[in-house]
Amino acid sequence: MGSVGKNLPHDSAVGHVTGGSVYVDDIPPMRNELVVDFWWSPVSHGTIRSIDLEEAAAIPGVVGLYTREDLHANLFGPIIHDEVLLAEDRVLFMGQPVVVIAAENRDSIRAAKRAIRVDIEELEPILTIAGAVVKHETIGDPMALQRGELARGFAEADHVIEGRFVNQGQDHFYLESQAAIAFPGEEGEITVHSSTQNPSEVQHVIAQVLGLRLNQVNCLTKRMGGAFGGKECQATHPAAMAALVARKTGRPARIVYTKDDDMQVTGKRHPFENDYKVGFRKDGRITALEVELRSDGGAYADLSTAVMGRAVTHVDNAYWLPNVRIRGQVYRTHTPPNTAFRGFGGPQGVATIENILEEIATVTGLDALDVRLANCYGIDDRNVTPYGQVVENNNLPRLFDELITRSGYRSRAAEVRRFNAASPTHLRGISMTAVKFGISFNTKFLNQANALVNVYLDGTVQVSTGATEMGQGVNTKIRQLVADELGIDPAHVAVMITSTEKNNNTSATAASSAADLNGSAAVDACRRIRERLLPLAAELLSPQNSDPASIIFEEGIVRDRRNAEARLTFAELVWQGYLRRISLGERGFYATPRIDFSWLTGQGHPFFYFTQGCAVSEVLIDRFTGELTVLRSDVLMDIGKPINPGIDRGQMTGGFIQGMGWVTTEDLRYDEKGWLLSHSPTTYKIPNIQDVPAVFNVDWLEIGNPVNIAGSKATGEPPLLLAISVWTAVKNALSHVSNGKIARLKLPATAEEIVMRLAELEEGARAEATTASRTHA
Amino acid sequence: MPDAVFLFVNGVPQRISDHAAFGTLATFLRTRLELTGTKIVCEEGDCGACSVLVGAPSEKGLDYRPINSCIQFVFQLDGTHVVTVEGLRTGGALHPVQEAMIRCHGAQCGYCTPGFVVAMCAMYEAGIEPSEKSARDALTGNLCRCTGYEPIIKAVLDVDPAAVRTINELYPPETMLGPLREHVRTARRLEHAGRTFYAPATIEEAIRFKSENPGVVIVQGATDIGVQHTKRGLQPAVMMTLGHIPQLSELTFDRDLLSVGATVTLTRLEDFYRDRVPEFHRILELFGAPQIKHAGTLAGNVANASPIADSLPFLSVMDAEVELTGLAGARRVSINSFYLGYKTLDLRPDELITRILIPMPPSSEILKLYKVSKRKNLDISTFTAAIRMRIREGRIEGARIAYGGVGPTVLRLPRTEGFLEGKAFIPDVFREAGETALGEIAPISDVRGAAAFRNRLAGNVLMKFYYESAASAQEAAR
Repeated sequence: MGSVGKNLPHDSAVGHVTGGSVYVDDIPPMRNELVVDFWWSPVSHGTIRSIDLEEAAAIPGVVGLYTREDLHANLFGPIIHDEVLLAEDRVLFMGQPVVVIAAENRDSIRAAKRAIRVDIEELEPILTIAGAVVKHETIGDPMALQRGELARGFAEADHVIEGRFVNQGQDHFYLESQAAIAFPGEEGEITVHSSTQNPSEVQHVIAQVLGLRLNQVNCLTKRMGGAFGGKECQATHPAAMAALVARKTGRPARIVYTKDDDMQVTGKRHPFENDYKVGFRKDGRITALEVELRSDGGAYADLSTAVMGRAVTHVDNAYWLPNVRIRGQVYRTHTPPNTAFRGFGGPQGVATIENILEEIATVTGLDALDVRLANCYGIDDRNVTPYGQVVENNNLPRLFDELITRSGYRSRAAEVRRFNAASPTHLRGISMTAVKFGISFNTKFLNQANALVNVYLDGTVQVSTGATEMGQGVNTKIRQLVADELGIDPAHVAVMITSTEKNNNTSATAASSAADLNGSAAVDACRRIRERLLPLAAELLSPQNSDPASIIFEEGIVRDRRNAEARLTFAELVWQGYLRRISLGERGFYATPRIDFSWLTGQGHPFFYFTQGCAVSEVLIDRFTGELTVLRSDVLMDIGKPINPGIDRGQMTGGFIQGMGWVTTEDLRYDEKGWLLSHSPTTYKIPNIQDVPAVFNVDWLEIGNPVNIAGSKATGEPPLLLAISVWTAVKNALSHVSNGKIARLKLPATAEEIVMRLAELEEGARAEATTASRTHA
Repeated sequence: MPDAVFLFVNGVPQRISDHAAFGTLATFLRTRLELTGTKIVCEEGDCGACSVLVGAPSEKGLDYRPINSCIQFVFQLDGTHVVTVEGLRTGGALHPVQEAMIRCHGAQCGYCTPGFVVAMCAMYEAGIEPSEKSARDALTGNLCRCTGYEPIIKAVLDVDPAAVRTINELYPPETMLGPLREHVRTARRLEHAGRTFYAPATIEEAIRFKSENPGVVIVQGATDIGVQHTKRGLQPAVMMTLGHIPQLSELTFDRDLLSVGATVTLTRLEDFYRDRVPEFHRILELFGAPQIKHAGTLAGNVANASPIADSLPFLSVMDAEVELTGLAGARRVSINSFYLGYKTLDLRPDELITRILIPMPPSSEILKLYKVSKRKNLDISTFTAAIRMRIREGRIEGARIAYGGVGPTVLRLPRTEGFLEGKAFIPDVFREAGETALGEIAPISDVRGAAAFRNRLAGNVLMKFYYESAASAQEAAR
């Protein structure tokens, strides 16, 4: 009996519930430590005329003030090198760092911020996608997927609709804001503790901006207090600023953003404005789809092009599109660089088509579920994605069927219609959506990982990988995989702090794939150690006729399956191995097989496999106040065979509710100059415990996964996309009072959005009635 | 006169007489005591990651309530016992709440977890029976971004109540009560680096201090001042807290008039109204987190004078009165004439709000209160309304309407009230009343909503009132 598949607690659970878990800002300060902060641009776009630091430098306690001139190099970026750490002659977004401040204490920092004089000539900022389109301000090349013949598809259609889908951004709202502490070492070395999903990136950027070699910088990440993509690239800025101070002063340097600063200066989920034209038959089947995706990348590229790539490859979602063209272009605006956020463009692509399917339902008069079923990917045919990858192991039809039954969708949809016909005060809506999320980094070379496994003489094990722990439980899963591979108790496996010293050239903990990649690498290392110990075990257990193939590692015991009597503990075997000078440490490696894709052709096999699921949500709307209540959500997924069911379940509940926030209450509001008004939880409303649907059923079908480690599937991002069902349920509710017309709805569906759209429908109906009565007269 | 703040933290006495007394409790715990389990996240009392239990001396020992330590000044905790997440694990044994959170995967990243654990323990201190609803209510003040809350609700239901030992059992109050009571028996005054904190023991002392120090900032719940401190660096030179004046904490009910002392917390008010005026109780439920309502007071909400203060529309349509006490004695002012303009009060420099007097709504009338916000719970209102009227034989009598969030103060709508007077109780009348209301308000666009949205709501709530009252109006007509 192994531990994989068991519901073990998170490996930091005791620390978390007792307050003992240490995050960056919980590390006790060193005696000579400095506080680091920065002065940031108060305007969205401008030219820096001058920077006067004299007054600030004279403030007691201020130790250093640094500008771009203090950097060895200023330019960096994960894909396109277009970003500067400290502003040069121009500021390109409100919140852009201009001056790094180092001081003995917070009071001096506060005083210094007030005393720094930066003369900026304000320029007209671009704050919307539309504005950037007009000015042709783009980031990266356009991307496109194409299949079939659009003209033929539209000719075959009974109806054609054109429309625009608009979604806002979303703040990550990790509880722990960005933080780092840098310690100066010998010979110019820097050690930095960073709350990052990507220690290697932190290492690279620090080396780059300080002019160090990579082997002089070590980045460590014990854990993060949440990240969700927001610490994939944007943790590098605070870490680099702390490192700059450590390098300049020779003293430890700590930076911790306030929540307000964090929300104002960091990038978010990308806003999109997508135009579409869809042709379909009376039975709801799509014959042609043309989509133009436009995203707001913010001031610098960051990961925007990769996010767009995922959006473009997720517009199809669960649906077969015979004639299709999907194009995407990132636009540059004067807002903080938008970045990775759980789903990584997938949610925007998927919401686009789920919106279209609701509209097809309105036009055809069909139930939106039947429209979805009519278009769902087939098992043996109608199963090729627009990018040419066959949807293998397609469990979508089964998930739809199973959830229709479990949720009682049909009878509830009928009840919703009855309710809406009768209630003058409230509206209900119900909707079922799906997800087919491609697992793998779209960039092929990132799909690799290494792991270091050290076995100690008492039979306990330390594992180090490039995976970072942000609550998602990757360390617990790796612990279980390693324990089973060596046949030992998971309590004897410690997953160590992530460090670039132990694991080099690692990929970010992202794309839901950290357990897949790093778990596979760790298992690879364990296999090698085991193989080295096998001949010894065979010899010790059956000296007369040793047979390594008969040796079993199980529950801390090493046995020969032919001889029940003979047994060694794992620790005894390790000790014997040590005496015989057998290496008890190993480095494992994994590179995801089969994947390949090129944007030049728009064809290939970008994803190793797909995580799939369905959800049904029902909402209640107060027609007068727009107050939205999610009455019930049912989530059913195919997540393979979970390595840890409790942890995967937590990803499903957490991802869904986070997605629900994006589509309902999380409303980023800016003033006309680009100043973010909702920059703390008082004004930015993530879901509260009271918002969790009164009935919230979360389950999965245990189907397994033939290609991935332990038959598991990635679960980090996909459940978030199922919350789109909440938004489409609102759209469904509005369609009950839209008189057969398409009800417009922006994402998020805030109370304000709902009230204003209802008002529009009401006024439309009134105008129509007036026209009708005039015609009649 | 004692010149240091005196409190216990996890059973250990602490005496603070330096700058730390003027800082927040969360910072004190994390930096001075190195109790880093208490997390600082939003610094405005909106996420609960900094929750701690505060035990105040009462008849039964120490009475523990959860509060947000990030916006409480250390001097406010004078005379209490503070229990942090670290203090819940005693002698190496985990608290049953902690065990349940581990079993149910109630923690993912762990950053919000200490706050949740504290808030969950607080349920047992308040004698709240664990249920799905009570779990949601008790944890309304805690944000989690990882779990989707469902595992946390499960954890609450998974705790073995029999295994729970209360804080009074974990930390026997006997040894602490004596020194704490002795410490707060008389007025205390702490001065450090040009800043003063004063805690009077009587109303007279408070008024005298206020008249001598006109710039004094009264810090009671600190749910607003605390935020101004953390966000805008507000550091008043002179501060006074009224927490140890017994008369001000009185809540009395006599002949349909409720008298609410200045330091009565919103939680106590909520308890009072629960069965008596469910409509206002519902608003108090939505008012804020338990952590906020244990600290915040009705007097604070009134004194803060916000146009979106959740209590004010109700007080306005009830014609509540504010009792002001100064050197010349006490006087009463109607809530409807107390506000002279945006955040401007009819309050003399020597005067304190000592009580608020609220009549009970007559049973012959219909009272409806509305709060529209981006998120239903734990949110500041975009728009608020109170509508009170009598329906007799299908006609409207004595309409009183107050709106918040549509002007510099909470507004009464006299023209709309006048329009409705004597009119038939039918939808068209309310639709027209909405048009009249539009002429009496001047909303602005801000982070919480556009002016157009607020204008729309101003009409919509009248229609909502009509539909919601139609049933009871018909009953009254019979």
